[in-house]
Amino acid sequence: MAAARPFPALAVLNRILLWAVFLTLAVICVYPMVWLFLNAFKTTNDMFAATWGLPKVWHWENFSTAWNYGISRYLLNSLVVTTATVVVELSLATMAAYALVVLNFRAKAAIYTLILGGAILPPEVSLIPLFRVMAETGLYNTYFALILPNVAFGLPFTTFLIRAYMTGIPGELREAALMDGAGEARIFREVYLPLCRPILASAGLISAMRVWNEFIFALTFVESESVKTVTIGVMSFAVALRADWGVLMAGLALSILPILATFLVMQRQFVGGLTSGAVK
Amino acid sequence: MPDSQDPIRATWRQSLQGWLWVAPALLFLAVFVYGPALTNIRFSLFSFSAMSLDWDFVGFENYLRLWNDPRFMTALTNNAAYAAISVTCQVGIALVLAAVLEARIFPDFSANLFRTALFLPSILPVVVVGLVWQLLLTPMTGLIDQILWETGLSSWSKAWLGEPDTAIFAVIFVSQWQWTGYIMALFMVAIRAVPRDLYEAMEIDGASGVQQFWHITVPGVRETILIVTIVTILGSLKVFDIVWVMTAGGPNHASEVLGTMMYRAAFRDDMVGYSSAIATVIFFIALTIGLVQIKLQKDR
Repeated sequence: MAAARPFPALAVLNRILLWAVFLTLAVICVYPMVWLFLNAFKTTNDMFAATWGLPKVWHWENFSTAWNYGISRYLLNSLVVTTATVVVELSLATMAAYALVVLNFRAKAAIYTLILGGAILPPEVSLIPLFRVMAETGLYNTYFALILPNVAFGLPFTTFLIRAYMTGIPGELREAALMDGAGEARIFREVYLPLCRPILASAGLISAMRVWNEFIFALTFVESESVKTVTIGVMSFAVALRADWGVLMAGLALSILPILATFLVMQRQFVGGLTSGAVK
Repeated sequence: MPDSQDPIRATWRQSLQGWLWVAPALLFLAVFVYGPALTNIRFSLFSFSAMSLDWDFVGFENYLRLWNDPRFMTALTNNAAYAAISVTCQVGIALVLAAVLEARIFPDFSANLFRTALFLPSILPVVVVGLVWQLLLTPMTGLIDQILWETGLSSWSKAWLGEPDTAIFAVIFVSQWQWTGYIMALFMVAIRAVPRDLYEAMEIDGASGVQQFWHITVPGVRETILIVTIVTILGSLKVFDIVWVMTAGGPNHASEVLGTMMYRAAFRDDMVGYSSAIATVIFFIALTIGLVQIKLQKDR
């Protein structure tokens, strides 16, 4: 390709430049995490002496200290909240998408707009009334205080993704099933759900990442150690451990280890899943 | 966007079935999104504290106060800077990076590796990113300062997060670090949907890579550019977590954004009505952006 161009020397120079740019960017993007993991093994003094190098002594105990400091509980809470949210959100979104694609009913366009419209509203605009509702209903400081709003705020985009995918499923499949006497519920379960598996995986992944990383609801609607998710747990952890950088960094490292490991093992599916919806 | 594919007007019976299928989703949105958002507007007309039963109707007084609050202007400016820089990096730069990676300049293996590396920050929790960068930016002991010292640029060394002039920009920078690679991956997907032979035709005509970018890539992914721009601007409007973690709006409120200002008013200073007024401002800005998006998409 380059050889066909009028100035090969220039093309080669360009190419070297591009390599340099991308290598630099890659290092800038990855190195902070490498730095985090390396320093998680150091004592605070080692770190001040040399934040660059490998640890002289690998202090594995930083990790056990951090783990016992509460990280394990936070991870469990995040797992519960994320799983519940994703399951409920996918169920509701798939049902809504099914109706929006195959059923004929009044005010359909208006209802779809209403669902999508939720995507432009940031959580901030509902936060104060939601806080009062949580306090008054006794949901405050329970898993539900996180699961319910997380489902609601995730529904618009999830419904959008699944609906877009379902429009690609030929309507003849449903018609044939109707002929055979199947009801909508059965067509939904036995025809549409299996065909939607790829988009459910992508939408589930996107939703799981969003909930796992969610911050403002977790900051506002829970306060006990026993319900705090990892994002907020890590915050209190950081405040408590201002002086002990090694343990703090071990805690941060532990908190991202599950996501990081999954990402590195299945990066193709990850990137593919998280970018679905880029083109309609 | 919704298909107008209702050939025959549905009967009430048919409609009831459809409504039942969408009802759970609508219910969630009504109870947790729209209902509270509307209640919030009503709250903004009162003066009250979190748990008190005393509600004073004050009309638009909260808004008047907001208008005269110098922090409000700071926050608006910071949100605007956030949006401007984010659109530049996450739309402009990300698109160029995506185009280069998709132009097959690098061998597949390296292109893949670059994509993974640049994508990596986006999978991390914002809180962890904020805390790690806080450590990296710490004067003297942080990595950034040490790099500056070792490269002889020690005069540039400063408390990036501790000085009013730089705090918000340091936070914005970290946000770009986290999201540019993600948007780049989105653009890569979009570029792959552009027909390959368009590029080949231009190539035969001797067009340079830059010309191909402007004449094929940019028009080819116009729709994605529009959506990403809107999403980025909305994201800059609602930004809260990264600022709260890294500076909490400080020092001396220099890096305050609407989100942190609203949160502080409600949950630290116990001025709930005032906080609701800030949230209402966020609401109307978001609504305007949403309407602009619908308008732009209709124009196509």
